[in-house]
Formats: sequence, C-alpha cells, structure tokens
Amino acid sequence: MRIRAERDDLADALGRAFRAVGSRSAIPVLQGLLCETNGNKLHVTGTDLEITVQTSIEVEVMDGGRAVIPGRLLTDAVRRMPAGNITIDAGGNEVIISGRGPEFRLRALETSDFPSISSDEGDGVAVDGVQLADSIAQVVIAASNDAARPILTAVLFETSDEGLRLVSTDAYRLAVRDLFGIGLEGSGLVPARGLRELARTIGAAQVTTAVLDREVVFSSERGILRLRLIEGKFPSYASLLPDSFPAQVILDREEVLDALNRVFLVAEDHIPVRLEVSENGVDVTVSRQDVGGETEHLDGDYTGEEPITVAFNPRYLADGVGAIPTDKIRLRLVDGVKPAVIDDPEDDSYLYLLMPVRV
Amino acid sequence: MSGAATILHADLDAFYASVEQLLDPSLQGKAMVVGEGVVLAATYEAREFGIRSAMPTRTARRLCPHVLVVPGQFGRYTEHSETVMEILQRFTPDIEQISIDEAFLDVAGSVHLFGPPDEIARQIRVAVRGEAGLPVSVGVASTKFLAKVASQVAKPDGLEVVPEGGELDFLSPLPIRMIWGVGPVTAGKLHDMGVSTVGELAATEPGVLKTRLGRAQANHLHALANNLDPRPVTTRAPAKSVGSQQALGRGITDPEDVTAVVLSLSERIGGRLRRKDRSGSTVSVRVRFWAPGQDSPENVSRSRTLDAPVGTTDAINRVARELVDDAIGGREEPATLIGIAVSHLADSAAVQMELGFDDAEVDDAGDVARAGSSRSDAASAVDRQLDAIRDRFGKKAIGRAGLMGREDRDAPDEFRELAERD
Repeated sequence: MRIRAERDDLADALGRAFRAVGSRSAIPVLQGLLCETNGNKLHVTGTDLEITVQTSIEVEVMDGGRAVIPGRLLTDAVRRMPAGNITIDAGGNEVIISGRGPEFRLRALETSDFPSISSDEGDGVAVDGVQLADSIAQVVIAASNDAARPILTAVLFETSDEGLRLVSTDAYRLAVRDLFGIGLEGSGLVPARGLRELARTIGAAQVTTAVLDREVVFSSERGILRLRLIEGKFPSYASLLPDSFPAQVILDREEVLDALNRVFLVAEDHIPVRLEVSENGVDVTVSRQDVGGETEHLDGDYTGEEPITVAFNPRYLADGVGAIPTDKIRLRLVDGVKPAVIDDPEDDSYLYLLMPVRV
Repeated sequence: MSGAATILHADLDAFYASVEQLLDPSLQGKAMVVGEGVVLAATYEAREFGIRSAMPTRTARRLCPHVLVVPGQFGRYTEHSETVMEILQRFTPDIEQISIDEAFLDVAGSVHLFGPPDEIARQIRVAVRGEAGLPVSVGVASTKFLAKVASQVAKPDGLEVVPEGGELDFLSPLPIRMIWGVGPVTAGKLHDMGVSTVGELAATEPGVLKTRLGRAQANHLHALANNLDPRPVTTRAPAKSVGSQQALGRGITDPEDVTAVVLSLSERIGGRLRRKDRSGSTVSVRVRFWAPGQDSPENVSRSRTLDAPVGTTDAINRVARELVDDAIGGREEPATLIGIAVSHLADSAAVQMELGFDDAEVDDAGDVARAGSSRSDAASAVDRQLDAIRDRFGKKAIGRAGLMGREDRDAPDEFRELAERD
C-alpha cells in the first residue's frame, strides 16, 4: 500500500480512529490501526473489540492495499511531520512515513491478526447529530465506571411509540432523556465509555443510528462508530421515580453552579453539601473537619409545606444541574432521604434523579 | 522550623521487655530478651552485654550465656500500649502515635491546663509509671526531630528538655549516631572524615560531605545538624491510608488460611478506620510469594477503587479477598505475607444512599462493598455493636466466628515489620 495525503487531514483521520485503541490491550495487534485503501479513499480502523472507530479520507492512492501500523507511533509521527504532503508506504514488514525531509521506518503488525470488523450498518435512522451528542452528554454523567457492575456502565437505548429514550444510572443517580419522534427500532445496553467518544470521533450535523443484535452503529460523513452491546437486563427504573413531590424550589442555574464551585473549595472527595430548602430559598452549607466550611444563601421560588433539609454529594448535584441547558432549574424533594429530581420546569424531555447523602 | 519548645516525644523504654517484667516481677533486674528467633526487645541489663534489638537470639545467647529468653505475648503488648496512649491523650488531643511504643505530642494548647511543657512531661512520666507500671522517657523540644533526639538522650527512664534557643548547644556534643537516619554505614563514612559529633557535622562544609554521602543525604544531614528541620510540625497530619500486614512464616497455601488472614486484617483496619470516623474508597492488597529455593521474594499488588468510601469490616474483607485471590491467581508457591490498605480516606459520617433496585441481576452479592446499600447498612450495624462491646469489655470480649481460635497469631504491626527483616 502506498498513499499520499495532506498532513492535517491524515492526522485527523488517524487521531480519531486511534481514540478506540485501548492503551493497555493485551493483544498486540489491537495497538495498531488498520489502514486500507478503497478506490481513492483510505479507511482507518481502530478497535478495542468493544469500541470500534472507522474513519476515511480521500487520498492519492499510488498502490492499493492494507496494513496494520502501530497506532500511537503512526498518529504521533504524522502529527509531527512538517506541514504538507505525507507519503505512507507499507510493503512487507516495514512502513515508511515520509514527507519533505523526515522519514520514519516503523515495523508493521500482522495484518491477518487484525479482527474482522462487521460492515453491517443496519437500517439506520437519521438523527440530528447535535441533539444526539447533547442528549448523550446529559445521560453519560450518571453512568457508573465500576467494571464490577457492567450493566450500570451502560446507557439503555429504549424505543417506544413516542421515540428514543436514553437512561443511565450508577445506583446513586439516574438520568433519563427522551428524544421524541425518533423512530428507532430495537433497544440495548450501550457502553457509556464508547458513547463519550461519539462527538469526538464521528460527530457531525447528521448521525445515522442503528441498533443491531449485538452492537449499535453510528455513522456520519466523518466515519463509523460501532459499540458492542453489554449483555444483561437494565434495572426497572420507572418505579424509582417518586409519584409526587411535596416540595419544589426553582433556582437560577448559574447561581447554583457558582455556589457549588465555592463548595468544592472545601468539599473534596465525598463531603456532602447540605441544603435547607424553605420559603426563604436555599441555605447552602458545607463543612469539613480539619479544614473549615462555607455557607451561602440562594434565592428561590419555593412551593411546599414544611422546610426540608437534605444533603447531596456536591459533584453529583453539580452534574445534574449542569446537564440542564436552561436558565432556571427545578429541584423537587420528598424529604431528606428519598430521591430528589432535578429538571427544567418548562421541558419534560430530561430529568436527573439523585439520592441524598445520609448525614 | 523552630518555635516554642512544646513538642514531646514519649518513648516507652524497652517496651516489650518492660511489659514482661511487669507481668512477671521475677524478671526484674535480669538480663532478658523477648523473641526466640530474633531479639524484639532487650532489658537494659541485657544491653550491657551488647545485645540489641533485631539481633538473632543466638547471637544474644553468645554475648550473654545466662540471658533469659521469653517468647512474645503480643496481645498483652497491644493492651498495655493502648493504656499508655489513653494516658497520653489526657494531656492533649494533638497526638501522633508513630509506633506501638512511641508518640509525639504537641502540648501548645494544653499549657494553661497542665503547666509548661516540661511540667507536662513530668506528669506524663508519673502517670505512665503509676497507672501503666511502665518506664517512659520523654524528650521536649521545638521540633519533632529534636524531641526524638532528646528522648533518646534521656533514656532510660528519664526526661530531657531542650529549651528554645538552646537547640544547637544541645546538639553539638552528641555523637552523630543520635541523628535520625544515621546508621552504621553513614556513621562509618563520617568517622573516616573525622566527623564524630553533631557539632562537627554542622561545621563541615556541605560540599565536602557531598563527596562522600551524595548530595541529597549530605544536605539533609547538614540541615538537621544545624537544627534546620524543613518538615513542618504537624502532629496530627491526617493519615492518608490505613493498612496492616501479616507475615506468614514459611507461607500459606490453604484458602481457609487466606480467608482467616484477610478477615483478621480487614477487622483490624476496619476498627482503626471506625475509631477515627473515617472510611476509604480504595482498597489495595500486597501478597508476597517466596518459594523455597527462590533467591528473593516476589510481591504482587492489586487495588480497586470503589464509587463510594467504605469502612465496614465486611466490605473491606470482601474487596480485599477478591484482590488477594486475583493476586494469587493459580500460583502454587506459598504466600509469605499479606498486606491490606484502605486509602482515599474521607470522614465517614455521610453515606451516599443508593436507589433500591429490585433486580437480582444488578443487585449482586457484591453490595456489601457499596456504602448506601442495604447490606452495607447491616454490616455497619454489626460493626457498631462489636466496636461498642470491645470498647467496654476489651478486644477479646467478642470476635468473628471466622477467626475463632486464631487470635494468638494476632501480633502488632511493629512486630511483623521486625520479623520480616529476618
């Protein structure tokens, strides 16, 4: 295989595909990027078997073919070449990367060892790429990173007559996002780790989405992202949502986030922030043994009978408030130990449910 | 850092040996050592024959054929240590216990209650002698470094006060071996250069020291000799982790033994965490393998960070057991040491509650390791009861069934570390 392309285009295609390459893979060939030509295109594939990214760019193809090249080295080498055209010449065991002087010689990996990647893109549904990326960002914050509980590291893709629903939970909080009117078929548990890569790898104005038997496939003009589904059954979350909330307070989102940023100065790790919610608004308190504390008052529009005192992990609270893209947020409460819900009072397409901290 | 001389270093004299003499008065005034394989403690009478800690007991017998040798009773040492530490705590909450038999105290906040620091030191010596029956030496100075040197000068059974401003006068005539960190090798190098006192060390050009000691050590020792101790006096630096380890002699392979060791360490760590009202989110283990015929041991470490901090014995035990099993893998050589530590500590009053999933698939058996789960709540209730009973009736009053009949292996960490040197 011998191709020539402009450095920045090549670096972009390689860099995005390389995001799927795991840093610690035990299988040597998975450290590589599969580069193969097709017509006047170069397709670049990186995979850790769970996440697969395929990118493609138009190049000048002098000799068609395929090669697996160490991904980190290839990507960094191309980025550091002088601007201008770059030639990649892969024949036998050696890959030569050259352009305007510098020349890298890299040892190629065994092409036949590279896992075969399905080319099935299913019957996808076109989705507004920005809306999809924003919705994913709103739910992945609630997904767990704990590999011991694989189901909770997923985002549930659930389809109904109303549209597509994305749900995630790490057992401490739960995020639900509806994309009304999107007629996707099928459902599945999609790894949140892979969804976090969507915008950076193939993000575009329009993203075609398909849920297949074993994977979900996102494709756009910039490439294809395939995520292997996690097996199992997502917890039945509907019953966790309280039926009614005796108290609610409407707050200015920026004021809450500013207050929490001050709270973080004191509350590292797992120090809870205490909220006293009453007709006067919200009194915020944090205190930490050996350090000190911070208090402040937030004005708010309160509806309810009794004042409620509740404590939260401030990071989890900030995640939820930050996920709501409007000026005003609503905090609904039952009491100090039942789940609270944060949402936009004007919009029922997103909610963030959060368990309190018992102090 | 130099300031008012309010730092005390209290160091129990020949601690294990003193406890033995307390328990068996016929041993008083005799040359005696604790430890049948390696000397863990020696009475001052035994030290006159050149017997020192960490020396093989065989050597001790050669130096002093009539020396009495007793095995250790580690449970008793721990009890007496706790008695002493409780006495010390009456004088200040700013106390940093650095081993089973020594602690630093900052009495700056206590002088209006108990008098000046040297008077507090006298009261401590009287109280420890009177209530615990043990001799303790105390050094009083403006830094931890100097207080520790002073208590060594005071030994046995003495008090040494280094007044503010008198630090260099105190240090100068002392032999260099009194400086923390100067062992026989460094001392030998310094002697070759004609340096045998701290004063001579202080007067030596750092450039000259560097040629023999290396730059880092030269700078460090030169600074200490001039009483420039760059370490701030933080008597209550919150611990970054709580850990414990157990040496296992020739090693264990039986999973039941592994179970017991992990549980025993988890119980010890859990108890210490709960006493401090702390919990931690990272559990780490270290397993040492040393097969017969192998030149050196191999250490295998594993760790796992949980979503939320835990402090229950059950939670630590479950995570640690998984990690230890993972570290052992399919290996057949015996494990000669198991160590467990909990880090990323937080105040544990607060518990992040969980959503109560009904689904068996998600709510697996692992939930005791998750603070906020119902099983964690139950484990926490058991721990509270156990801790309360032990506080009232003593450590041995109640225990976990999985450790029945195994308590005698319960040796303090310091003993384990000493034993590992052998």
